[in-house]
Amino acid sequence: MVGYVIRRLLSVCVTFFVVSILLFVMMHAIPGGPFDATEMPLSEAAKATIMARYGLDQPLYVQYLKYMWGVLHFDFGIPYQSPGETVLELLGRAWVPSLVLGGAGVLIGAPLGIALGLMAALKRNSWVDYLASAIATLGLTIPVFVTSMLLILVFAVWLNWLPASGWGEPRKWILPIIAYAAIPLATYARYTRSAMLDTLNKPFVTVLRAKGLPERKIIFQHVLRNSAIPMVTVFLPMFIGTATGSIFVEAMFRVPGLGAYFVSSIVTRDYPLEMALILMITVMFCLAYFLADIAYALLNPRIRLGGKGTK
Amino acid sequence: MINSNSTRTPTAKFVSGLETADNLPVAQNPLYYAWRRFLGNRGAVFSGSILLVIVLMAIFAPLITPTSYEEQKFLTENLSFPSAEHWFGVDDLGRDFYTRIVYGARISLSIGFVAAAFSVLVGLPLGALAGYYGGAVDWFIMRVIEIFSVVPPLMAALLFAALAGGGFVSIVIIAALFGWVQVCLLVRGQVMAFRNKEFIRAAQALGATPRYVIYRHLIPNSISPVIVGFVQAIPLAMMLEAGLSFLGVGIAPPLPSWGQMINLGIGIMFFYWHLALFPTLALAITVLSTTLFGDGLRDALDPTLKG
Repeated sequence: MVGYVIRRLLSVCVTFFVVSILLFVMMHAIPGGPFDATEMPLSEAAKATIMARYGLDQPLYVQYLKYMWGVLHFDFGIPYQSPGETVLELLGRAWVPSLVLGGAGVLIGAPLGIALGLMAALKRNSWVDYLASAIATLGLTIPVFVTSMLLILVFAVWLNWLPASGWGEPRKWILPIIAYAAIPLATYARYTRSAMLDTLNKPFVTVLRAKGLPERKIIFQHVLRNSAIPMVTVFLPMFIGTATGSIFVEAMFRVPGLGAYFVSSIVTRDYPLEMALILMITVMFCLAYFLADIAYALLNPRIRLGGKGTK
Repeated sequence: MINSNSTRTPTAKFVSGLETADNLPVAQNPLYYAWRRFLGNRGAVFSGSILLVIVLMAIFAPLITPTSYEEQKFLTENLSFPSAEHWFGVDDLGRDFYTRIVYGARISLSIGFVAAAFSVLVGLPLGALAGYYGGAVDWFIMRVIEIFSVVPPLMAALLFAALAGGGFVSIVIIAALFGWVQVCLLVRGQVMAFRNKEFIRAAQALGATPRYVIYRHLIPNSISPVIVGFVQAIPLAMMLEAGLSFLGVGIAPPLPSWGQMINLGIGIMFFYWHLALFPTLALAITVLSTTLFGDGLRDALDPTLKG
């Protein structure tokens, strides 16, 4: 187990460096630069000064090494589009809307999805089951900006119940949270249903029934517990995926979150912000998968008591 | 992980109504049984027919639309709402919106199909190599796939689109770049399942080169996962195209793309809802029917792949 953890952590580090090199090269390969004169024409000398100020006049590998040295000290530089603060301060500020909306989406969608999947599995081939399947299929196939668009059209444009976009007041949060909740709801409805059906068909459930245990006890104490593993392991990656904001949802609802800043950082060639965002999310995904594997090993007695690694 | 599908052959015997008088099962092409399983899946047949209609509409677009997609013939009726003459209304530049939507299917479907073909082109050989050789080759390919699984795909796609400058070709390449992973994993699983079967061992013992074994035996046996991977890559590519066009880095006007129309529509939806609704519905119906069709095909071709 310890060896496995160390191997996985090493592979996270390797992934991190490979991704950072690829990104750095790609980002700088995009034609144009952050201080090309589009709005305010700069004199050659002024531009050279600014380029030198941000180290953009040096060869690419020097820039990369300098950047990574900074990253190791948690110094991600200064965003060009908002030079009054550091990248970390900007991220801390921009993450709030993403975290609130995405986080609430998962925290509302996941339990609903579990409940739906549970009812579907217990009442197989009933209308609940068909409803759950329909919701799961729709939620997993329809792109999120289509969901958002339909929500806006129905609730903001036609019914005029809720504001269509913005961030300020909680009333504006409702529609984006519903849009975010669709994916965890669908995922969990499907996962829970198949995990429950899987367990219900196991021989030990038959034994429990033969022994005369009440059905309620069988479901909640035995079946649910044994079906929980895939449900737990899928949670963290999903949470990260949603709580770091979706480019589309934020573009649709005009929310100033991480996704929106990412789009603007690409448009304005804001290299430090671009790098920091992608690297941060990549590392969080690596760690989420890693923790999911650990959780899987810990929850599964066959692996935990076997004392062997999971792979 | 996809396991061996040793269960596949016996099922053929149990398809009812196929026994001859002396009660022996009629030997049939495996595709025949797949076809029967597919027909038994009402949802898949329904979405397949819808997809077929959309494909036909895209192919015969000039025959079923009044104007060309860029002709500003109705400038006097700018932004008018749906009517008998203009089924989906007129857009902000005086173009018949129904025409734009139908031609949008051309863009969406062609990007989906071409990108899926490229995904197979890349994923098939890599999956076969990883599955056949295992070891270091497999390790390397799996690490590459791991990188693809941790980098947020949309952010990377956006970066690529900014780099390549949008347009049909670069969207196809970007979609294939993210689409090959699934095909590769499916093929790899299938090849790994067949690698140690007797007929492969026999071929190897007779001196067949790895190249021969892969081309002659393993790839033909991977045809079901390849078809499944191909069909499942289509809606992903269509969504990517719509997404990038929505963000303004995909298909450039005057070419009609649903994502681009949604982006236009959202700006004026409070006054002209039709410009937002129709492209959204078109995209939703197309993606949904393609996905359900792909799922049905997967269940029909190879029930063990059902996820």
